[in-house]
Amino acid sequence: MELNRDLIHTLSFLMILTSFAAAESRNLRHATVAYIAQALLICGLLAAYSVTNEALLWWAATALVTKAILVPAFLWHATAGAEQETRPLIGFGWSAIILIAVLAAMYRLTHAHAAVFITDEAGLHGIAQTNLAVAFTIFVLGLYAIFTRRDAIKTVIGLCLLENGVHLSLVSLAPRIKETALVGIATEVVVTVYLLLYIISGIREKFGSTDTSQLSELHW
Amino acid sequence: MNKEMPSLLPALVVIIPVAAGALIFLVGRFTSWLREAIALAGSAGALVCAIGVGKAALGGAVLLSFGQQFYADALSALLVVLVSFVGFVATVYSLRYMRHQVQEGGLPHTTTQGRLTVFYALLMWFVATMLWACLSNNIIMLYVAVEASTIASGLLVAFYWDRRSLEAGYKYLLLLTVGITFSLFGCVLVYAAGAALLKGSRGLLLSDLRTVADQFPATTVALASAFLIVGFGTKAGIAPFHPWLPDAHAEAPTPVSALLSGVMLKIAIYALVRTVSMFYPGFSPVAAFVLAIGVFTMILGDFMALAQDDLKRMLAYSSVSQMGYVLVGFGIGTQLGIYAALFHMINHALAKALLFLAAGAVIYSTGARALSRLGGLAKKMPITSFCFFVGAFAISGIPPFNGFQSKLALFVAGADAEVWWAVVLGIGTSLITLVVLVKAAKMVFWGKLSDAASAPTVKEAPATVCIAMVILAALCLGLGIYPKAVYKPLRAASEQVQTVVKTTPGTLVKR
Repeated sequence: MELNRDLIHTLSFLMILTSFAAAESRNLRHATVAYIAQALLICGLLAAYSVTNEALLWWAATALVTKAILVPAFLWHATAGAEQETRPLIGFGWSAIILIAVLAAMYRLTHAHAAVFITDEAGLHGIAQTNLAVAFTIFVLGLYAIFTRRDAIKTVIGLCLLENGVHLSLVSLAPRIKETALVGIATEVVVTVYLLLYIISGIREKFGSTDTSQLSELHW
Repeated sequence: MNKEMPSLLPALVVIIPVAAGALIFLVGRFTSWLREAIALAGSAGALVCAIGVGKAALGGAVLLSFGQQFYADALSALLVVLVSFVGFVATVYSLRYMRHQVQEGGLPHTTTQGRLTVFYALLMWFVATMLWACLSNNIIMLYVAVEASTIASGLLVAFYWDRRSLEAGYKYLLLLTVGITFSLFGCVLVYAAGAALLKGSRGLLLSDLRTVADQFPATTVALASAFLIVGFGTKAGIAPFHPWLPDAHAEAPTPVSALLSGVMLKIAIYALVRTVSMFYPGFSPVAAFVLAIGVFTMILGDFMALAQDDLKRMLAYSSVSQMGYVLVGFGIGTQLGIYAALFHMINHALAKALLFLAAGAVIYSTGARALSRLGGLAKKMPITSFCFFVGAFAISGIPPFNGFQSKLALFVAGADAEVWWAVVLGIGTSLITLVVLVKAAKMVFWGKLSDAASAPTVKEAPATVCIAMVILAALCLGLGIYPKAVYKPLRAASEQVQTVVKTTPGTLVKR
């Protein structure tokens, strides 16, 4: 069977769109929904790529359980009764403009240079370039969200985006990776998110909110 | 030539503490002595197996478990012995210390039992994940193990569950996970480049990747090195990625601080060296970059330490600085440089663990940790006082303590490679270290008794706490007087890092 290139391109661009929504939505539950949409897109992408390598179907299943079910469930639980995000450092208008500029620049840059890293073992040809460019772009978007958001839960969503970026790059860079390594990587994200949200619940209890700018007991 | 042979020992090193942790979760709630006995047995078991691995490695063997997934060469063996030893000492120290700390909170009996159960179980898993990281031969699993050690220790950092420790725990988990994600990207890039040259899943094994790393495209090397240095460097407390370190090391319970500063930082450095050093032969700017970032870290850490009033925070910043020294050695890249870096890693592990344990003993007795609130404790706590001074002199590099030997080797290596600027800055920074630590020791133990120290309840720490400190102090002195004891393992370990360096040693950073 042939790779469905149009489908992969469409899913890839939708990935960037959902990242944007997850990072910019001021309602944490809406951001979680955007994250679920992104997780489902990753599963779809992995399934679309799996015509070249059947092992990728395993990945798709792992991603479905960890990214589309477990992590959102934890986020949903953590945002109960506190759906509105603490105001971030940069307001919506400016943030959206900066983000779009960064995304466009990152995408162009990585798309032009991604070929260097692709060994094309999986026979993905030109499509791997798009995949890597999307992966790098989402990685940068995650970093941006982590460092400009003041809400702890939003920061965790940023972290999830960052991880999604790296995991997506595995399709093009490490297609023959063993399942054990993959399960290790996927499990780790779930446990980290769970522990972070558990500590954040403690922060909410002791500080009264999840605004990280209050975390100032410890100065340099 | 190394003789590779399958063995159960490397697997047991990890499995024993993992099983001990699980067992503590199951039965720890019921009886406190059983919980503590399992923890002691678990850490002692790991230590015994680790010594077995070390012995085999000294004999020139490389032990393999789970196919080739666990790979114990001399470098891994050195780290495994170090981690399991400090883990054992920290467990002994915890016995009285943690009971006292938790009961002081005035919580109901069932709550304290539950919390101590969680503490010991996570302590075991923390040690186990660090041991796993030293042994993993699979580049992706190396990342998984390093991140697992962050996860296992995250709740230990936030253990006291107050405002300070929650802040520290949040920053710790978040920043280290972000950092380590960078290193995953780096590992994946290395894997991708290696897989193309090696064909198939063999590209995952570090021992194979090293043989082809000099043929990687230069762009991949540059990007992968940057990602790996940011990633593992964050976990190793390398400046400017260190801001999580003083918070976590100061707010965690003292035995955990000793493990974080004493050995966890070394695990990150180990991961960095295992991966990045494979590029040394083909790409010398990588080594020069490691050297530069090491010097920066060394200086910054000590100046920050100088400004601290909190005893544990001061020690944490001093760790940042000492990690800088270790990186300088690896950056010099010659056999002597790597040898000195490994030696300093061991010495810092012993001495900094000792200093944290002594600081913990002071907190145990007085309840205070601000330098300005302490004073005159030497008469009331002679053993703690003696041990703290030993640790302070050892880290500052004063003879006859162990730090002197490794710093001397480091400076000689620097002079040999003609990186004089690094040597001069290193010696200068050593003087600042001496000022920082001896000033702190003087403030805490000499002079007039402060209010916090004059209460009649203030007395020498309990026996198990003192035993743990005395063991470490004896080693600091012993290795200083008789450094020959570790020459052989250190040389074997540095040769493992060197096996990839095909160019003549010493030519890497010479201009």
